[in-house]
Amino acid sequence: MRRTRKRQASRREQRRTATFLQRRTFWHDGQSAMQDTREKLIEFRDLQKIYRVGTELVHALRGVSLTIHQNEYVAIMGPSGSGKSTLMNILGCLDIPTSGSYLLNGTEVSHLSQSALARIRGRQIGFVFQNFELLPRTTALKNVQLPLMYAMLPRRRQRALAALERVGLADRAKHRPNQLSGGQKQRVAIARALAQEPDIILADEPTGNLDSATGNEIMSIFDELYASGQTIIIVTHEPDIAQRCHRIVTLRDGMIASDILSERGRAEAAPEGRPEFAPAVGAGA
Amino acid sequence: MTTAPVQPALTQPIPAGAVSRALAWLPAALEWLGAFFARHWQNVLTALVQIWANKARAILTTLGIIIGVTSTITVVSFVQGFGNYVTDMLRGFGTNMMFVFPWDASDEHHLMLGRVVMNVGDVRACGTRSDKVRRISPLVFNVANIEYGREKLQAVELQGATEQFQPIRKYFVEKGRFFGPMEVEHGAYVCVIGRDIMGLLGADDQIVDDYIYINSLRFKVLGILEEKGEMMGENQDQLVVIPYTTAIKMSPMSQYFLPFIIEATSEADIEECSLEVTRILRERHGLQPGQPNDFRILRQDEFLRDFEKVKIAATASLAGIVGISLIVGGIGVMNIMLVSVTERTREIGLRKSVGARRRDILFQFLTEAVVLASVGGAIGVALGYGICNIASMHPSMVRVDVPIWAVMLGLSFSAGVGILFGIIPAFKAAILHPIDALRYE
Repeated sequence: MRRTRKRQASRREQRRTATFLQRRTFWHDGQSAMQDTREKLIEFRDLQKIYRVGTELVHALRGVSLTIHQNEYVAIMGPSGSGKSTLMNILGCLDIPTSGSYLLNGTEVSHLSQSALARIRGRQIGFVFQNFELLPRTTALKNVQLPLMYAMLPRRRQRALAALERVGLADRAKHRPNQLSGGQKQRVAIARALAQEPDIILADEPTGNLDSATGNEIMSIFDELYASGQTIIIVTHEPDIAQRCHRIVTLRDGMIASDILSERGRAEAAPEGRPEFAPAVGAGA
Repeated sequence: MTTAPVQPALTQPIPAGAVSRALAWLPAALEWLGAFFARHWQNVLTALVQIWANKARAILTTLGIIIGVTSTITVVSFVQGFGNYVTDMLRGFGTNMMFVFPWDASDEHHLMLGRVVMNVGDVRACGTRSDKVRRISPLVFNVANIEYGREKLQAVELQGATEQFQPIRKYFVEKGRFFGPMEVEHGAYVCVIGRDIMGLLGADDQIVDDYIYINSLRFKVLGILEEKGEMMGENQDQLVVIPYTTAIKMSPMSQYFLPFIIEATSEADIEECSLEVTRILRERHGLQPGQPNDFRILRQDEFLRDFEKVKIAATASLAGIVGISLIVGGIGVMNIMLVSVTERTREIGLRKSVGARRRDILFQFLTEAVVLASVGGAIGVALGYGICNIASMHPSMVRVDVPIWAVMLGLSFSAGVGILFGIIPAFKAAILHPIDALRYE
């Protein structure tokens, strides 16, 4: 027992040192950290992911470096096979990279155990899926309470109701998924992602199964969340959706092909009344 | 004399806020406990919702367990019911009773015709020389034919005894009277008959003071014995009791092989009583130390103890045999849990993505298996209970009570089967990779 504790402590020490060194490296490589005063939420450093399919090795990610700050509104785009899903899985702590480092809130998470990853998923990341993934035969309220239950948070009912309130579905709390429309289902899913007050909301094609009008509704909910300070990452292949975000990261062949601000992002980043000074590329690129 | 060490006084006052600081963890701990129980309770609710959603499937799955538990409960209760019936009956005879009979350890007394093994003298000696004997009566067993008017009965059980028969056997006359010591002394031709004999002779209570023929000898009927009912398929009311002196006259050889029954002064004295009887009989029979007894003493309490052993063995072996069907039921549960895990792969993926750890998923599916098996067990208990109650309604059936431990055993066994056979599917669910589970079609 004591030995295990000691080992854990020394590992923690190593990790801290590693984090510190990486921070120093980051500071000196002339990147944008000095320009941006916002807190860094996600830092990918040279992330690689290699899958083994039979005897063949598939390089899904070949060295991705990416920084996402607090309260950013990012779209991740790319054709299928570009490593978009892999990136999202690693972002969401569903998977760990083969090499490289991933700092989430300054903590290295690329070597964590399954249960530690589960803890992070439960407390720091809120998922929104293309096909909602609500539990059938379970009320909206119970669905929203699910992550709170696993995170063992108190006042689950109030929190869940508050989350449903934020997506405008407080009156549907007692409805089951089969009594809700597609848009409502996705809003319940967003409420579920919001319930544990995560650092990041990670949406995987949130409008993929919805018609454009409903999709717009969902996107406006994301806009509101962004306005209230939430960090949002949306994985999508629809340019319209991507344009509603502020920053568009495009992947190709497992590498970042471009990382730019969208029209909207540029307009917002420009100094008051001087759109001609809008930055051309994203802050973290 | 040393003085007790003086306790140092508590001079330091407790600083303000120390208590609240020391207990600062308490609300958080309570919250955590609440969440912990809420989560496990949530698992139970989820399991019940799942079962309710697939009612037919759940019933079919748990059929094995239902049948297993039902048969376990029924069999155990029946064995216990019969056992209790017999035990009660034996108790009714009195636990301070013993039965002494001639018995050669070498089992060769049939080769020694005419040898006096036990006679009236032995009986009298035991009755007079031991102060632990309260009542004593020889008992002559015989079989006789009975005639009354035109009715004839073949091979009726005939018992010869003294007037002490009634209190020792706790078997009393209902109508008329029992024969008295004078009639025993004289070897009078009087008898007392069982209820069923009266019925078989086509007579009613008027037979008292009438005459019947036993082995062609004319006997006066003095009384009718109360009804005792059946015991182990043997009718106890088909019996005729006569004075043992008369019985010896009817079959003279029996005076040399005379068994007798003793009622000890109390249940606590029975051990000592049997030792005294042994000593007296050995002395009278001139047995040397080291020579085996030429008689045997059967004690009611020994008989009861042996019977209890038989009852436990029968219960255990029968319960074990029907318990095998529980294993079969468990395989059904495992099968359906495997199906359920496959069906709900996406749900598992979702739960993992919102923060469920492996052990959370493991517990969820384990709980589900246990709830499923326990529901089956509960239905089985209810069915077994019903069967026992219905069976008890039949008039010639003994009273069958379901022992509470059998219910507990049935429920805990089915829950155990749930754990045993639920662990593999639950483990399978727990080790699913979240991405694979979410992408599962």
